[in-house]
Amino acid sequence: MMNTVETRVPVTVLTGFLGSGKTTLLNRILTENHGKKIAVIENEFGEVGIDNDLVIGAEEEIFEMNNGCICCTVRGDLIRILGHLMKRRDKFDYIMIETTGMADPGPVAQTFYVDDDMQQKLRLDAIVTVVDAKHIWEHIDDSDEAKEQVAFADVILLNKIDLVAPEDLDKLEARIKSMNSMAKIYRTHDAVVEMDKILNVGGFNLDRAMEVDPKFMEPEYPFEWSGTYELAAGTYEWVMGAGPDPVMGMAVLPMANNGMAAQEAGLMDAVLTFAEAEQAVQAGEMLHTGKGQHHQLVLNEDGETIFKITLEQPGFYQLFTEHHPDEFDAHLCSADAVLDPLQTGEYKPDHEHDEEVTSVGITLSGDLHLEKLNGWLSQLLRVHGQDIFRMKGVLSVRGWDERFVFQGVHMLFDGRPDRPWGSELRHNKMIFIGRNLDRTALEGGFRACLVS
Amino acid sequence: MSRVMMQRKDKPKPQQQPLKTLWRAVIDDHPIGLAWSPDGNLLAVAGVSGPITLHDGENGAVRHSLAGHTLDTMAISWHKDSRILASVGQDGKVRLWDVEAGTQTAEIAGGASWVERVAFSPTSDCLVSAAGRKLRLWNIGGDLIREYPDANSTITDIKWRHDGQQFAISAYNGVVLYDPTQPEPLRRFEWQGSTLTLEWSPDGSYIATGDQDSTVHFWMTETGQDLQMWGYETKVLELAWSFNNRYLATGGGTQVVVWDCSGNGPANTKPIMLEEHQGLIKHLKFQHEGNLLASGGNDGMLGIWRVEKKKSALLTSAVFKDPIAGIAWSPDDRYIAVVDEIGTVSVAQL
Repeated sequence: MMNTVETRVPVTVLTGFLGSGKTTLLNRILTENHGKKIAVIENEFGEVGIDNDLVIGAEEEIFEMNNGCICCTVRGDLIRILGHLMKRRDKFDYIMIETTGMADPGPVAQTFYVDDDMQQKLRLDAIVTVVDAKHIWEHIDDSDEAKEQVAFADVILLNKIDLVAPEDLDKLEARIKSMNSMAKIYRTHDAVVEMDKILNVGGFNLDRAMEVDPKFMEPEYPFEWSGTYELAAGTYEWVMGAGPDPVMGMAVLPMANNGMAAQEAGLMDAVLTFAEAEQAVQAGEMLHTGKGQHHQLVLNEDGETIFKITLEQPGFYQLFTEHHPDEFDAHLCSADAVLDPLQTGEYKPDHEHDEEVTSVGITLSGDLHLEKLNGWLSQLLRVHGQDIFRMKGVLSVRGWDERFVFQGVHMLFDGRPDRPWGSELRHNKMIFIGRNLDRTALEGGFRACLVS
Repeated sequence: MSRVMMQRKDKPKPQQQPLKTLWRAVIDDHPIGLAWSPDGNLLAVAGVSGPITLHDGENGAVRHSLAGHTLDTMAISWHKDSRILASVGQDGKVRLWDVEAGTQTAEIAGGASWVERVAFSPTSDCLVSAAGRKLRLWNIGGDLIREYPDANSTITDIKWRHDGQQFAISAYNGVVLYDPTQPEPLRRFEWQGSTLTLEWSPDGSYIATGDQDSTVHFWMTETGQDLQMWGYETKVLELAWSFNNRYLATGGGTQVVVWDCSGNGPANTKPIMLEEHQGLIKHLKFQHEGNLLASGGNDGMLGIWRVEKKKSALLTSAVFKDPIAGIAWSPDDRYIAVVDEIGTVSVAQL
C-alpha cells in the first residue's frame, strides 16, 4: 500500500465526557477563522450548514464485524455518511467526528481500518479527548469509557483548569501520562487552544512521545541502579542505612571485561536474575555472586546493616540494586575504604504499575524481519487485541530504504512505507497503550523479530 | 450454511468488438443515480449535490432539470408508467416529479434527516422509502399508506420482487421481507453482520446480499436456507442477476465473480472469474433479457462481458478518465448508459 502523496482527507475524532467542554471546543473549531472547510458529524439529529461548514447528525450504530477479528466493532453510520461525503463535489478539507460522552473510541477508530473506501479516501489524523479537570476524578478510577478515552487519545485537553488548584492539575497530568505517555497534553480554559494543536497533527507522534519523557521509550527494568567496580579477590562489605523500604533486591554479577558488550550482557543477565525467586539475606550474611543469585536484603530496623561479599577471582563486577543506593545511603567498602564505582547506570523502574491502563514503549536497534514481525503481531493481537487499545511504530525493516510506519487499533493494524531513512540512524520504535500490558513479553517478542 | 472459497485463474484475452457512442453529456456533478424510464425515452441522472437531469434517451438533449433536493440527493426510482420519478435526499424528503411537466407533484417526509432509499413497485402505484430505520409505504399521490415498525438499524437497501407482491429490505442483521398489503413483516433472514445491498433473482427464488464483512449470501426464499460465499477482497456492494436466474455476478474486488446457480446451485462450485479491471469494481448490471454483463470500476473501465459457463469473454471495453459512478442498460437492452465520477454521461450501442 504505497501512498507517498497524501491526498486523503484528515479526520479528527473528538471524545470526552458530557460537560467536559467538547461542544465548546467544537463550536470554537467551527467559528475560528482557520480557512478550512469542515464537515462535522455529531450524535444529534438535524443537518445544518454553517457558512462553509456542514454539521451532520448521526445516530451511532455500532456493528460487529464477522471478518476474522474476534471482537471487531465499527460504526456503520460513519461508513455510510463518510462514504457519501466523499462523493461531494465541494470536498471538505477536514472532517470532525464527535462521539457521545460515554463512547468507547474503539469502534470509531476501527472503522478507518476495516473499510477500503474509508482507507483510500480518509486518514485518521488524531483522537482528541477533552477532560474535565475538575470532575474527571469521579470517573477515572472506575469508568472503562473514561480510561479508554484517555488511552486512545493523541491529544488531551485538560479543560476547566480555572476550577482546579495547580498542584491537583500536576497530579492529574502525571496520572494521565502514566496511562498514555504518547498523548500531547494541553491545559485549557474554556477549551481555548490553537487550532494547529488539534487539527492536522499527523498520525505518527513517536518523536513527540520522546519529547515528553526521555526515559519513556527505554525499557523498564526490575532494578533502578547498577555500579561497575574493578575488584581484587577478597572480602567486601555492602553497607546500607535505613531507607524507604525494609528490604531491597540485589544481584552481584561478574563481568568478562568492562566493555560495552559485556555491560549489555550483564544487563540481560541481571534481568534474568531478578526474574528468579529471591533469597532472603539477613544482616551479616554473605551475598553470592553470579547469574541467578537474586538476593533480598533484609535491613535492620534501625541503623546500618552490613552484608558480606567474598570474591575468589579478581576482576570487574557489576552490582544491581532494586532501589537507588542513595535512598539508603548504601555503599561498597573494602577493608579500609569506601569504594566508588567506575561507572553507574540508572534505570527506569517498572514497579509503578498501579494503573491498569499503561503505555509500553520499546526502542531497538537493528533491522526487523517483516514476516517475523507480521507473524508476531498477528499472534499478539489475536490473543491480546482486546487489551491493546492502540499501537504505533516506526520500524527499520530489512530490505526497505523507507521507514516503515504502522499503527493499529485493537486487532487491526495497517503498515506502510513512509519517507526514506536518509541520513537518519535506522532504528525501531514501538509503543503500545492498553490494559495489563506485559512489558517483558512485548519486548521479548519484538526483539525476536530482529534479523539475527 | 456452506462456505465456498474462490480461486484466481488466468484467461486468454479475447478479440474486442467496438462500442459506438450515441451521445455524451456532462452534468458537472458526481452522479449518484442513473436510471432509464421504463419506456426507454428518458435517462434520469441525479447529481450528488441535488439536481436531477432528464436526458432524451435518443440524443441526450436535456428535457428537464429538476431541482432535486436542497441538501444532497441520495437515490431515484421510476414509476412503471414512466411519468413519475421519485427522489430522496438529505433534506429528509421524498419528492415525486412529473417528468412531462418537469414539476414536483409531492413532497413528503421520509422520517429522518437522510432519506437514503426509494423504490417504486414494478407493478403498482406504491413506493417504499427508507430513512434511517424508518420504513414508509406511499401511494403515487404522496399519501402515506403505512409506516412500518422501525428496523433494527439503518436500512441499507430496498428491492421489490419482480412481480411486485413482496419487497425486501437489508440492514445490519440481514434481510426482512414484506408483503405491501400487510403491516407485519413476512419473514426475516437473519445474519449477524452488516448487510449492505440485496438483489432478488428474477424468479424470486433467491435473495442475494452483499455484506460489509466481504461476503455474499444466497438466501433461498422458500426454505430460508443460507449460503455464504467468502474470499472477497472488500465489502460487496455490487450484485447483478441474469434474467434467466442462472448467474449472479458479484464485485467486492478487482475481479467480477460470477456464481452459477443452475443445477444444485452455487454451493461447492467454482465461480466464473472475469479479470480485466485494474481497480475495484463498483457497478455491475446484467441485460434485462440477455446474457451480457456490464461492469464499471474505479479504474474508469466499462466492460461488456458475455457470461457463459466456460465461454465467458470480454466483448468490449471503454476507459473513462474517472472512476465509473453508474451504469444502466436501456429497457430494450440496445444501449448502455454510463456515468463517471466527474459527471460525464455516455450512452453507447454495442
